[in-house]
Amino acid sequence: MPAYHQIGHDSQNLLFDEGLTRFGGAILSPLNYPPEDIAAQLNRLSERENFVTLFDPHLYRPQSERLHLPSWDYYPKDVETADFTSEWWAGIIDKLVATALQLGPTAVASPAIVPKTFPDEFYLGLVENGNRLEAVLQGTSVKPTQTIVANLVDLINPQRAMSIASIMSKSHIEECLLVLIGNTDPRRELADPEELKGAMKLIAALESGGQRVTVATSSSEMILWKAAGATNCATGKFFNLRRFTISRFEEPGGRGGGQLPYWFEESLLAFLRQSDLLRVQARGLLSDASTNNPFSASTLGSIPAKESWLRLSWRHFMYWFAETEFRLSDGSVTTEDLLTTADETWATVASSKPKIYMEERDNNGDWVRQWMRALEEYPYFS
Amino acid sequence: MSAYALEPVAKAICDALGYTFGDGIGSGSFKETFSATQPDGVRVALKVLKPGCSTERSDREVEAMKRCAHPNIASLVELAQIEIAGIRHPYIVEKFMGGGTLEDRLRTRLIRRGELLKIGESLIGAVGHIAAQDLVHRDFKPANIMFADTEGEAVIGDFGIVRDLKRESITKTYFPSGPGTPYFAAPEQLTNDKALIDWRTDQFALATTLAIAHFGVHPYRWDGEDENQAIARVANRSGPSPTFVQLATHAELPALIKMLAPWPVERFRTPTMLLEAWRDQRGGD
Repeated sequence: MPAYHQIGHDSQNLLFDEGLTRFGGAILSPLNYPPEDIAAQLNRLSERENFVTLFDPHLYRPQSERLHLPSWDYYPKDVETADFTSEWWAGIIDKLVATALQLGPTAVASPAIVPKTFPDEFYLGLVENGNRLEAVLQGTSVKPTQTIVANLVDLINPQRAMSIASIMSKSHIEECLLVLIGNTDPRRELADPEELKGAMKLIAALESGGQRVTVATSSSEMILWKAAGATNCATGKFFNLRRFTISRFEEPGGRGGGQLPYWFEESLLAFLRQSDLLRVQARGLLSDASTNNPFSASTLGSIPAKESWLRLSWRHFMYWFAETEFRLSDGSVTTEDLLTTADETWATVASSKPKIYMEERDNNGDWVRQWMRALEEYPYFS
Repeated sequence: MSAYALEPVAKAICDALGYTFGDGIGSGSFKETFSATQPDGVRVALKVLKPGCSTERSDREVEAMKRCAHPNIASLVELAQIEIAGIRHPYIVEKFMGGGTLEDRLRTRLIRRGELLKIGESLIGAVGHIAAQDLVHRDFKPANIMFADTEGEAVIGDFGIVRDLKRESITKTYFPSGPGTPYFAAPEQLTNDKALIDWRTDQFALATTLAIAHFGVHPYRWDGEDENQAIARVANRSGPSPTFVQLATHAELPALIKMLAPWPVERFRTPTMLLEAWRDQRGGD
């Protein structure tokens, strides 16, 4: 199934770039945009046929991350003092539906917070919100999506993944938006194999139970989510921008200007800085997927000025993401293939003379082995 | 002396209602059951609650039965109470099931594949109806499955430990296990994982009942193990025994295997999905 794009940082126009039409959906962000901007985005996206527009109400941290949320009718005025009861959520959902019907996205996600802890009661509340959303949307053209917020650290316990899936499968909604919360350090790939196995187990359990999972804010680990059976994966412009951790790709002050350009190299499953790219290229280690990427030609032909390369790097990654999501879905490549190639290429990098020293010390491919372990072991994770 | 302490009460109720008293037919923790005949000749089951057992749980049983109206669910004829010597005795009158229980049948023989499919389909309908009322029966077992007559449809009765998902649970969260009959209970019931309890809990117990009725062995009971070990395996979510999986596969009953998955998410998600999969097994008959 097609990849989704998480709109943010003025990225909506990228969806109309030639070469990025493989994206089959977009996740709209009322956190980052006021109603008139989202309406304009929806108006433009309606030009694309069979394109999913998912309105995510973004109430994950309503008390601390507001940005444009207060300009939305469904944003609660009593967020500072509310007890987050079922009745309180019901009022928000009713207003959220009114907002969605006015805007006309194809789908709307049920509201959810990121809690301090993640007990069963929290998940029962998510189901309750989802089922209410489903009931209120009945008879309209807007489809409900069940939001699931899961803490990667909790998923280290394999029983937890299954109990969360068991609770979330009480939802009447088949489409799910999975938001994974993690403590991975900034500038690092998700690399705890136990967390990855738990997340994969959760995805696989939901999918085998008949629910379709879209994994939000994915980066290159998308290949693992696809292996676990995720229907869709979504990514942002800044590739590993993780919604709930500080990211190495986060722009200062939330606006443009401070991001370093990276090239995503499939043969290493790694993000490369400009000089690293030149070294890897010189050894002939770039993958066909990268060099055939329509946004690679001008980058590799003559390394352009930083600003220009930055723009190309977004597109280069997004193209890889959507194309690889597609290749994994149609079976023309497997996650195992990608990991095996990356493992071999990193071995080549390690044994090459003269040695290749990546600009960032931790950019050493260690996560590839962890991902291989996660892929191999998650079906037996119990 | 009768084995039924409440027989005098039952007789008094029959006198008051104009019924002809029959016999004692069953006794549980909360009530004793008697057969009786109405003036028009229709036989009924008279359930008299034990003194002090008119609890919130018994109230919920009655409420649940009132909410259900399905040909495969025991129907409530009357609910009232009688006062004898200053003691109030609530009682329930239900349609009498003359065909006995599944437990009675299993004393003489296992049920054949065709019967299994028919009984299963009837009871899946009942499970779906109970689920639609936001109820979980929590006590599917051979003793609670009755037949109107020898050829009749299977009917589920005894809502004594029914869980109403719209109301606060009576069972405390800190209890190690929830109410139920352990040998037939689902893992989430045995471990009191309250958040996981829903209609799929009944799906598991129904499947356990059907598996025992057809194969004569608990699906989680490994060769050479006893009942308690089977219960422990269910609680530990170890999955059905290889022997059972082999038997059910050979008998072309894949839906039965899926119903017995240790986690609810691995079972059928909706009663409609379950019913379709169950009917798909007809081909092997």
